[in-house]
Amino acid sequence: MKTDVLVIGGGPAGMACAFSAAQNGASVILVEREYRLGGILNQCIHNGFGLHYFNEELSGPEYAYRWQQKIENNKKIKIMCSTYVTKITRGVNFFVEATNPEGVVNIEAKSVILAMGCRERPAGAINLTGTRPAGIFTAGCAQAIVNLQGKMIGKKVVILGSGDIGLIMARRLVCEGAQVVGVFEIMDKCGGLARNYTQCLQDFNIPLHLSTTITRVKGTKRLTGVYAAPLINGKVDYTQEKLIPCDTLLLSVGLTPEIELVSNFNLEQYPFTKSYAVDEYLQTTEPGLFLAGNIMQVNDLVDNVSNDGEIAGKSAALYAKGKLDITQKIEIAHDSSIRYTIPKYIYKNNEKSARICFRTDKEYRRIFVTATSNKKQIAKNYVITITNGQIYNLNLNKQNLNKNLFLSIEQQKIQE
Amino acid sequence: MSTKQVKNNFEVAIIGGGIVGTAVFSELCRLGVNCVLLEASEDVSNGSTKANSGIVHSGYDPTPNSLMAKFNILGANMYEDMCKRLSVTYLKCGTLTVSNEEGRQKLNDLLNRGKQNGVKGLKIVENKELHKLEPNLNSDITLGLYAPTGALVSPYNVCVALAEEGIVNGGTVYCYFNVNKIKYQNQLYTIYAKESYAPTPFVNAKYVINCAGANAIEVNKLLGLPEPQNVSYVKGEYIILDKSLKGYVNRPIFPLPTAMGKGIVSNLTVHGNILLGPTATPCQKDDVSVSTDSIAQIVDKVCLTIKKPNFGKTIKLFAGVRAKVGNDFVIERDNTHKNYYYTLGICSPGLTSAPAIAVYIKDMLIEDGLKTKNITPKKRKPYPELATLSRQELNKLIKANPQYGRIICKCENVSEGEIIDILNSPLKPTSIDAIKRRVRPSMGRCQGSFCIPKLINLISQYLNIPKEKVTLNGIGSEIVISDIKQYGYYARKQINTVLKQVSTKK
Repeated sequence: MKTDVLVIGGGPAGMACAFSAAQNGASVILVEREYRLGGILNQCIHNGFGLHYFNEELSGPEYAYRWQQKIENNKKIKIMCSTYVTKITRGVNFFVEATNPEGVVNIEAKSVILAMGCRERPAGAINLTGTRPAGIFTAGCAQAIVNLQGKMIGKKVVILGSGDIGLIMARRLVCEGAQVVGVFEIMDKCGGLARNYTQCLQDFNIPLHLSTTITRVKGTKRLTGVYAAPLINGKVDYTQEKLIPCDTLLLSVGLTPEIELVSNFNLEQYPFTKSYAVDEYLQTTEPGLFLAGNIMQVNDLVDNVSNDGEIAGKSAALYAKGKLDITQKIEIAHDSSIRYTIPKYIYKNNEKSARICFRTDKEYRRIFVTATSNKKQIAKNYVITITNGQIYNLNLNKQNLNKNLFLSIEQQKIQE
Repeated sequence: MSTKQVKNNFEVAIIGGGIVGTAVFSELCRLGVNCVLLEASEDVSNGSTKANSGIVHSGYDPTPNSLMAKFNILGANMYEDMCKRLSVTYLKCGTLTVSNEEGRQKLNDLLNRGKQNGVKGLKIVENKELHKLEPNLNSDITLGLYAPTGALVSPYNVCVALAEEGIVNGGTVYCYFNVNKIKYQNQLYTIYAKESYAPTPFVNAKYVINCAGANAIEVNKLLGLPEPQNVSYVKGEYIILDKSLKGYVNRPIFPLPTAMGKGIVSNLTVHGNILLGPTATPCQKDDVSVSTDSIAQIVDKVCLTIKKPNFGKTIKLFAGVRAKVGNDFVIERDNTHKNYYYTLGICSPGLTSAPAIAVYIKDMLIEDGLKTKNITPKKRKPYPELATLSRQELNKLIKANPQYGRIICKCENVSEGEIIDILNSPLKPTSIDAIKRRVRPSMGRCQGSFCIPKLINLISQYLNIPKEKVTLNGIGSEIVISDIKQYGYYARKQINTVLKQVSTKK
């Protein structure tokens, strides 16, 4: 099989990629390992999706369905579900090997977009010690069992990590009749969105224990309890360890991008996101290989994921036609208050603007985000608050962009 | 098992389905002996065997003339052929024991001891040659004792294959048969199971072999045998890292051994993961928990030998308990009970020694009058392992059965077809962990986040049991408890409190 653009992953990012690549005139193959499109959205039956994209508050499956409708009957897009990519290599074009229930599939593509999302960090990854009983789930795994299979996972639940999935599962399990003893967070503030904290924990009387972690677990066959201990000056204080009886532990302790498929390419790593560095086209350092969605960086909102997808899809289509302008590459520099930027590189090209998003090292209030190029300020945006963890999106007008670019954060001076 | 009539009468009963028990089982079944293997848990290979480094030791470590030395060498020489016969992986990688310049004398002692034990090909490698073998060794590690006959296997794959081989040769395996009483009357043993869900409440046998590993002393006590002196239980804790670090070490790398054991090994598995451990922590017999201190200890110790690997790639911590009785294996026939044999203190190098121990025990039984038949043993049928097939072979397989094209575990690339194969295998796995040990779903970097819901479905469907009965590792470790909306009591209470608060606020 031959195609212009191959998109791997049929979740929100992949569907947007396929749509946008086809809009830009490319032939597209979209492969998805599950039997249907939608990815993790299918198990996210809560609402809050699509506020930016569709101006509506949709559930995950509804949001996925909207996108599915956009691409399903598009003649330029071939959708292959139950197809699992095992290998990508490259000559002039990319050669992709996959398997599905019909056999072994070979696809030759001019450009490839990776939109495989993330996986959850398991218990082993956080050095959770103690025994290894049943009843320990990653939050997403629990979500799949409860929402897709209609099965209950336990009666008395402790949740470690206050990421959004953890918060949403806390509420979900209470609604299904479980007791959620508490959510434990190693950091000193809630990891999830403020609205999830309010709607999932506060509204359901679920306690959130900050600067506290689960140190080890107990139980031979099924979990019987977990030990929690506070952090003092960033270190676990084992003397204050306390046993909390429970039969279920959910882990919402972070996501890892699924980047292993292309480890044979010599791509520039990007330690901040545990993924690869990309330019403004969301192209990695391997020409024609693009990233989109959570595989590139973990997003708070699915709408941003779709947005990435549209950028990557368009870029991949242009690349396939040989029209991607990569002549004047500029590495984005920034001050230390900005942890990292996506993209890492932008171009001085004919595009009028570029979307640059970043995360900061801590919470800031009343600041200016400024962009300087060749010692000239080319943008200055006022921001009331930016929390750490939250992604800030800067739409940079590139007309005055010169040979370099520096982003910084400036406190607003309050006149006395 | 439900379709067949449950069999109760056997010539030989083996208690314990670890590596020693299954090796004896396969050895006897291949001689046409009517044999039963009694395993307390839901699957064989579930005790010390599964939490093992998987090293086939070359044999330079045990004290000369000990049983350990004898069986180690004999066993190591049998392993390659045995693995070939069983169609399981045998990775001929050799082993290294390394040290800085200060350890030269000790390494030389080991070399000499190895020669005395009859280990072939031992040599000391130094500096550049050593670092060429293992590029991630620390720079101050300049000496290594290279043992080319050392190898790696997957301990649970070997153990399961041995049990299956016994079954295809006419043997019976009863899992969930936790022995709690042995009656000896008229030269016949009646062995009773503890749990009501055992496949049968008792079995009769003329010969009984106790291979119960860490529980072997408890089993001996059932016949009134005294507890030997110098019994200790030692826990071995491990860290396992993701396959993406494959090649970080190329063979097991031991530090110089100490009195406590062979030390913390920088090791790998036959499937390409990096395996670091074991510790040697004194513990209770059934304590397989991992402690934070031990993990820190592994990290520290490993870094003395090799450059610090990326511990961010840790995917699992685990531990196993080995029993130690004095400094050697105890493999004996009992004087007070005719035709009762026991193996105690089978710690390292137990995995390596198992095939030789099996032969030794078989010979004892024959000496004591066991009748064997001269049959041509059948071979165990291996299952297709998709990861090892060429594209053409894979395509052919999928065309014949589309289930091989449906990937269930994406980290380890395991298809639905492979899982269904083993759900129909001679020794049906009934738990997620048992499936994981055979074909590796949920063994990878996501540790089952994506595939466990699917595995629950498959087990439920193919073993025809409700999802609530699917377990992680045997009865009591059920994963899902009911349909949703069954446990409303707490929710109602919670909602009532919230409503009350809301109304008082107003």
